[in-house]
Amino acid sequence: MAAGTQARPSARSLSWRQFKAILRKDIVMELRTKEMVTSMGLYSLLTMVVYQIALSQSGSAFDPRQIAAGLLWLAFLFTSMLGLNRSLVHEQDQGCLEALLLAPVDRPVIFFAKAIGNLVFLLIVEVLTIPVFAFLFLQGGGYGGAWWMIPTVLTAGSIGIAGVGTLLATMSVNTNGKDFVLTVLMVPLMYPLLLAAVSATTAAVLGGDGSVDQFWAGMGGVAGYDVIMLLAAYALYEFVIGA
Amino acid sequence: MKQLKVAIVLLVVGGLLTTAAFFMAFYTAEVQRFGTITVAEQLDTVIPLESVTADGFQYGRPWFSQKIFYFHVPVAEASFLVFGVAAFFAIRFLMTKKREYDTKSRMAMETSLIFVILTMITGMLWTRASWGIWWEWEPRLTTYFIMTLLMIAYFVLRNSIEDEERRATYGAVFAIIAVIDAPISFFITRLIPSSHPVVFQSGMASSNLVPFIVAQVGMLMVGYAIYTMRMGEEILSERVEAVKEALED
Amino acid sequence: MTDVYTTDIALEVRELSRTFGVRKALNKVSFDLPDGAFLSVFGPNGAGKTTLIKVLTTVTVPSKGTARVCGLDVVEDAVELREKIGLISHNPLLYPDLSAEENLQFFAEMYGVSDVSDRVRELLVSVELDHRRMDLVRTFSRGMLQRLSIARALLHRPDMLFLDEPYSGLDPHAMDILDGLIAQVRHDHTFVMISHDLDKGLELCSHALILAKGKVVLFDSKENIDPDEFKATYRSTVGMGVA
Repeated sequence: MAAGTQARPSARSLSWRQFKAILRKDIVMELRTKEMVTSMGLYSLLTMVVYQIALSQSGSAFDPRQIAAGLLWLAFLFTSMLGLNRSLVHEQDQGCLEALLLAPVDRPVIFFAKAIGNLVFLLIVEVLTIPVFAFLFLQGGGYGGAWWMIPTVLTAGSIGIAGVGTLLATMSVNTNGKDFVLTVLMVPLMYPLLLAAVSATTAAVLGGDGSVDQFWAGMGGVAGYDVIMLLAAYALYEFVIGA
Repeated sequence: MKQLKVAIVLLVVGGLLTTAAFFMAFYTAEVQRFGTITVAEQLDTVIPLESVTADGFQYGRPWFSQKIFYFHVPVAEASFLVFGVAAFFAIRFLMTKKREYDTKSRMAMETSLIFVILTMITGMLWTRASWGIWWEWEPRLTTYFIMTLLMIAYFVLRNSIEDEERRATYGAVFAIIAVIDAPISFFITRLIPSSHPVVFQSGMASSNLVPFIVAQVGMLMVGYAIYTMRMGEEILSERVEAVKEALED
Repeated sequence: MTDVYTTDIALEVRELSRTFGVRKALNKVSFDLPDGAFLSVFGPNGAGKTTLIKVLTTVTVPSKGTARVCGLDVVEDAVELREKIGLISHNPLLYPDLSAEENLQFFAEMYGVSDVSDRVRELLVSVELDHRRMDLVRTFSRGMLQRLSIARALLHRPDMLFLDEPYSGLDPHAMDILDGLIAQVRHDHTFVMISHDLDKGLELCSHALILAKGKVVLFDSKENIDPDEFKATYRSTVGMGVA
């Protein structure tokens, strides 16, 4: 009835096209508005000021490297929530999510595209934050581990935050009190991931005897969390997005 | 209202059993020298408390800490079991989309929250008695703390959604992911060295085992009773709703 | 009453129910709609109109009963079905931070349209937005948004169009434009429209359906409908709907 029905492309190549389209759209929108990276970057900068207050009475004998990893991941966790919330609010705003659901798209494709987009923005903010943090707090401290340790744990930890966070943010944008609900859901769920990531990051920062073992133990925790929780999030996303 | 009767019977029997176990713990159970005591003794040498020097008091702390074990461990195990039940019904709900499973899942979550809070309180009493401090970030306490937060988050999430079906779906999804998260928390916290006693490692004498099992059975009965009573209440209010709906037609 | 149309049926709804607990959003809804028809769905708030559209567009699944749209089952053939239907809502369902062209390109990718840029250009011309194609959607007027959202709905050459109160919030001029656009595509599409506006809905339709409390109060083709009687029936349902 309608003019010219095109040949049906194979399901997999269509999914790949859709995945790229969603990701590209998120990146184009972000490059245009710079909303997420600016707000997240500014937020993490403000956290640095708060850290200065927290550390102001610790005295010169105190080595901030001991708690540097914890402070960093804390900043990442809270900035990530800001970005996650924004990323899903975009979809909700004009009912775009509804239009997305009407397209012949497998729900996991939406999940992975949104999660990867969030991961990219989170990593950008992390890469911007770390030098500032090091400049402000770690001057003269030195870096103990191998150079690849920090990027490894950063990426693995961010995958978990972005993956689980995308699932939770998809729920929280549909509630009253969006950002508050996201915080309440996110922080306890992230606990094991952050604990392991901080342990690995601390080993990387301090170096020394046994630090490689501690790093891999922490990485094992991060990787285990990523695999299990991402599988769960992937399986559950369809229910969340259809509700 | 047969269920309610069963619930009341279970509540009474469960209450009696836990009370009995409590007395057994004090009068028939012998004080064991494993787990708790070794740790407590280690701590005594590190942080000696003045009151311990008096003869009667020397056994005071380990003695009390062992008694609380008969309440603490059963309630902790019950809480985890009921948490699992909540996730089971959450999965059933997502599969069937029947509201009864959502109600069951929520009721189980409520019951579990009560038990988790009881575990936390008894755990803190134990920590205080054995280690001289109220709180310690050790794996089990921390895991339970996180579990409490997850359960609170579950109810916060539910209360912030108006649409009934969406509330049920999101609740179920969060319940499932929280139940997956809790053991991971426990496992990862163990990366940090722990001082929580591992009780079953060295086995138990029968004078200890009997009150323990009695307490465990009693606690599960109480749990089931709370769950059934709340269910009965829910079913009644759902019926009222159905009648209202029918009257409007 | 509509059994004469058994050869070409666009919508075949059988005992369709959507319930949760005691709430019945749809209660054993049954009707058939012939190919090429224009169905107007009326009903007070909470009557189940939106739920009906959501089930027919595969966004949610029915609790009981079946529905076939364009010969495809809404549950089993959901993915194929999505390629055959389009939705125009009172929400534009467009990303405000993307240009008109980017929006259409994005949705064309989501539907796996084979000749993206040609198709997008063709539609932009047909809704007379070609001169604004590079402008961000957030700068568009209500009428332009509505035109662009029609272009979005037509991208993948659907057989059937769902209209969810498309006239709400439009000024008279924009209404005229929408009328014109619907008239343009009327001949080769089946329409299902939710409407609060009795006169408008009756004017456009070939069939009318009144829902109240999830049940079919009236379903008939336009020839058999006396407008005054119809309005009286509709008014009698208004008090029932708000549960």
